[in-house]
Amino acid sequence: MASSRLSLLLAILRRPWFWAFAASTIAFFATLTLSEGRGGGELLSAALTFASFSAIVGIGQMFVITLGPGNVDLSIPATMTLAGTLSLKFMDGQTALILPGLGNALAVGIAAGAFNYLLIRLLRIPPIIATLSASFLYQSLAIWWNRGLRIKPPEALADFATGSTGGIPNLTIIGILIAVVSWVLLERSIFGRWVSAFGQNTRAARLSGVPVEAVRAATYISSAVLASLTGYLLASFSGGAALNMGTEYLLISIAVVVIGGSSIAGGNSNVPGIWGGALLMFLVVSMLNSYGFGAGVRLIMTGAIIIAIVAAASGKGRSV
Amino acid sequence: MNSKAKLLGAAALVALALPGSAIADTADKRIALSNNYAGNSWRQAMLESWSKVGGKAVADGVAAAADAFTTSENQATEQAAQIQNMILQGYDAIVVNAASPTALNGAIKEACDAGITVVSFDGIVTEPCAWRIAVDFKEMGRQQVEYLASRLPDGGNLLEIRGLAGVFVDDEIHAGIEQGVKEFPKFKIVGSVHGDWAQDVAQKAVAGILPSLPDLAGVVTQGGDGYGAAQAIKAAGRETPIIVMGNRQDEMKWWASARDENGYETLSLSIAPGVGTLAFWVAQQILDGAEVPKDLTVPFLKVTQDTLDETLASTPVGSVANVEYSLEDAKAVIAGAK
Repeated sequence: MASSRLSLLLAILRRPWFWAFAASTIAFFATLTLSEGRGGGELLSAALTFASFSAIVGIGQMFVITLGPGNVDLSIPATMTLAGTLSLKFMDGQTALILPGLGNALAVGIAAGAFNYLLIRLLRIPPIIATLSASFLYQSLAIWWNRGLRIKPPEALADFATGSTGGIPNLTIIGILIAVVSWVLLERSIFGRWVSAFGQNTRAARLSGVPVEAVRAATYISSAVLASLTGYLLASFSGGAALNMGTEYLLISIAVVVIGGSSIAGGNSNVPGIWGGALLMFLVVSMLNSYGFGAGVRLIMTGAIIIAIVAAASGKGRSV
Repeated sequence: MNSKAKLLGAAALVALALPGSAIADTADKRIALSNNYAGNSWRQAMLESWSKVGGKAVADGVAAAADAFTTSENQATEQAAQIQNMILQGYDAIVVNAASPTALNGAIKEACDAGITVVSFDGIVTEPCAWRIAVDFKEMGRQQVEYLASRLPDGGNLLEIRGLAGVFVDDEIHAGIEQGVKEFPKFKIVGSVHGDWAQDVAQKAVAGILPSLPDLAGVVTQGGDGYGAAQAIKAAGRETPIIVMGNRQDEMKWWASARDENGYETLSLSIAPGVGTLAFWVAQQILDGAEVPKDLTVPFLKVTQDTLDETLASTPVGSVANVEYSLEDAKAVIAGAK
């Protein structure tokens, strides 16, 4: 009896996502002790809202990173900025154009993802260089298109982005839906097997009949589409697109993948962990801000916490 | 021997300087702008003002060229290489908004040694041979607290939104705010976050710290973060404190609608992106032989309850309140510094 309970506990401890969620919970309660328990709902709602952005771009980044060493999408911030800028200018505050505006943003994502892939495939540029140089192109295009002017989103869209349904922020609902779909894709579909096979051994995957190039194209396009969706939502949420709106999501997108327990070497992904990592990234910064730490200490501690969690998660995996 | 050499050196200097001061015409002079960053609305407005004023000066025959160059990565090494290119291209003056106050000094010195006039503004450089058009950022921070003290004689709790960690401007404004709090000790900074001068980053940071904060009387800011703070405070269902704004159009629009709704009052202050055009005219004056002190100060642009409507009307949607400087303005600033 006791041993079966123990083995269940061990099984949970061995889940790579466990540590991200555990650390998030600790950070949450550590922040609350400051306010003597008040504001818990407020903090939870803020964490769920802002973690949604990190989770959606993080899932896209996870698809790409799962492809194996050298695969990473550095064009996420620029794609977010370009999609946000183009779609908000296109909608120009008109409620009737909300859905076409969304289509506009997603089209930017598909185009950016396809372009990234073509640079990698046709010109044989390493993905890091290809996505980085493409991001200069996207950023310049965004600057040229609207010169950094902030155009307000349609009111109905802004209300939706900042609102909630049944107590849960609308953005969180979208973020969780995307996570569920991605989980099914990765864990229960042939496509997910292909992605993992690609990441574990590309040559073996090709020889066993996996359409490796189609898989690679699909992952880069998914990443860019999710980034552009995030750009559209973030711009609607914060009252307009800005040229620097995506900047912090480059590091966050990679951090949540690593914290969430996906293998940075590829071949192994973890969708629940992305949400754990996204919540943690917000809650740790909030906790350190609330305790009044300066920027230097905050950055050092954020880094230390990430290292500790990655070490804890991978250590448990190996020991058994 | 030694004094003789000095005398010779001095004579050579005079000989070099004389023709410069004799030419009262800058029609054949080429001026370049070395800019380290273009990725926000303030920098975009700065570049636009530059091309407008510089373009007109070229058309009017005041200068031969007023070209703007921006580095892509906001790196000092990249900008140093850019300045070295400008030296090779033979520009007569380089106006620079620097990525670092010290890291460009080598390249700036090379330019000076090549006889090029270097004028730095906003992001200034410490190299002594360059001119500096500095903003009194410290005063900008102090005045925010002073304004809050005039509105709230009993003081209260303040939330401070800082800029980008590790940047000189952030440290200066922060120091000014601390000085203001020392001057008006009834105020207490109960929380501090970094908003990176971006509305969405500020919104996120404020939303995270709010639950642990007591009631706020005011929010002191650095510009580009006030609207995000207002959104986060509204989302948390709190009463809006006095948020000092930073001249962005969306901030002023929010302020105007809050004023119409419930008589909301605040202050907005920042530097006009047009400060680049002031640097242009200062460079032109130096090339023209005018005697210009190495350190100039540019006033910051304040928007008050009385000037809100007027400023809002003249600011393009989604941009920043701006002033473009004229040759006369530059002469006045130079005369004021003497």
